[in-house]
Amino acid sequence: MTGGRVSRGKIDNFFFSCLPTTWLAVLRIGSGLAILVYALSLREDWTYLFSGTGRGLISRNLGEQILSLDGVVIPRLGWLIGLGSYVSLSEKAVLFLTWISLVVAGGFLIAGLFCRFSAIVAWLIHLCAAKSGGLVTYGVDNFITIALFYLMLSPLPDRYALDQVWLRWNPRHKELLGFYRRVLQIHLCLIYFFGGITKCLGSGWWNGANIWRAMTRPPFDIISAEVLFKWKYFLPAAGIAICVIETGYPLFIWMRKTRLLWLLLVLGMHVMIGFSMGMFLFALIMIVLNLAAFGPDFSFNSAAILRKAAPKEHNSTEILSNSLVP
Amino acid sequence: MKAVLSRRAKQIYLACFFAHCLLISTVCCNETFRLISEGFTIVRGMPNEVWRGARELTAATLGQNLPASNPVRQGEAAYLHLAGIEAGYGFFAPNIPAAYKLIFEIHYSDGQVEYETPRARTAAGELRLAGLLDKIGARRYDPLRELMIKLLAHAVWREHPKAVMIRAIFGSINPPKLAEFEAGPDASYEFLYSYDFVLRDQAIPIAKP
Repeated sequence: MTGGRVSRGKIDNFFFSCLPTTWLAVLRIGSGLAILVYALSLREDWTYLFSGTGRGLISRNLGEQILSLDGVVIPRLGWLIGLGSYVSLSEKAVLFLTWISLVVAGGFLIAGLFCRFSAIVAWLIHLCAAKSGGLVTYGVDNFITIALFYLMLSPLPDRYALDQVWLRWNPRHKELLGFYRRVLQIHLCLIYFFGGITKCLGSGWWNGANIWRAMTRPPFDIISAEVLFKWKYFLPAAGIAICVIETGYPLFIWMRKTRLLWLLLVLGMHVMIGFSMGMFLFALIMIVLNLAAFGPDFSFNSAAILRKAAPKEHNSTEILSNSLVP
Repeated sequence: MKAVLSRRAKQIYLACFFAHCLLISTVCCNETFRLISEGFTIVRGMPNEVWRGARELTAATLGQNLPASNPVRQGEAAYLHLAGIEAGYGFFAPNIPAAYKLIFEIHYSDGQVEYETPRARTAAGELRLAGLLDKIGARRYDPLRELMIKLLAHAVWREHPKAVMIRAIFGSINPPKLAEFEAGPDASYEFLYSYDFVLRDQAIPIAKP
């Protein structure tokens, strides 16, 4: 075998393995859950946050004008409202329909019913809301968009989805299961690496001042300052730990010996952020992304999973794709 | 029958993968270079021009130096937004910014004065409202900041239609530092801006994009 073929084989093995679909099920159910939590937690504020000038908290039109400075072909709620006006639907009615569509799409994603269509609907409507309401968005919206973007492109449905159990729908190109998982894994490595590096560049992360400030700053001051003060000697260690966990993520999550430890550290960090700062949706989507990328069945060498999973006498990806991936 | 990806298709997927990762890295580098060049970090030693130059390079890669109507810039921006990768990941970094507070002083024709703060109905909405105040505080362009506060004042006025004037007072809240906490645990409030809005029964004009 020539060197070129060997390296091509390695690239194929790294990027285009027919993995089990468990990770995709985690991403689908987790994203559906995040969309449901997102929509339900904003149910009473939905119209208030996304109405046009003079009808809500702040003008959706202003948010869309600022968005237009970035690009004019970025989806926004104004387009849907414009479409609705053709059939005499008021802004309020269209906003209500978009909210209902999000809830239904989230529910369908959890159940695995019409997975691809549900993922596209959830992605598009959430994106429109996040972009039109750019003034009232924060980091969590980017992560939901990322999760739904990869989900709708991935080879759906997974083996646990009702699409496959009831309707016997199968994905066409199963090699793409490995490809999209790799994209998600490397994207997460970039996210944590740059997030960690930027924190390392701030003096407050080395002496605990930033942890103190983050947790005493409204609206994240869920734990009282008095309680936090009792833990003051722990704060510098927590700040440094966050820098190390995030910056070291791309390295330690790939090393076999540290993989599980790092995954648990990152998941623990997000659970702590969720409970101590009230950022539950942010914690949820980050946990989902991490579990999908590095959770069940993860191995740096995909062939190892296949060998482990497939019958001993057959040692090929083809066998796995026939036997494990429904 | 299982379909197998052709070699050509795999090459296209790999090219897309590398372009996607390049865009993510470029956006993150752009953000990091901005923070360094504006002096928000502990990085010292290299002149700011170096970091500004690096930022220019990443901005050029993202097409931000092209005219706004250029299709390459538009296409690149659209893709970044569709994939959710248009922003970096430096949350709470390199340091934690101040929290902001907006108070409305509502004046009635009989001289009565009431105080109100912008409110959302849900906890998730409150979190987003805090983000909105952060964005107002971070705006360097005064007219836009004033317009945003005016729109918030308008929302308050709808609930107080008999008000004749609303004074918006915008300031920052600085929690006590860890070392200062034992001496006096109160957060300090710093006044930043104040705007008076005399109300007429008309909508605030915002042209549609």
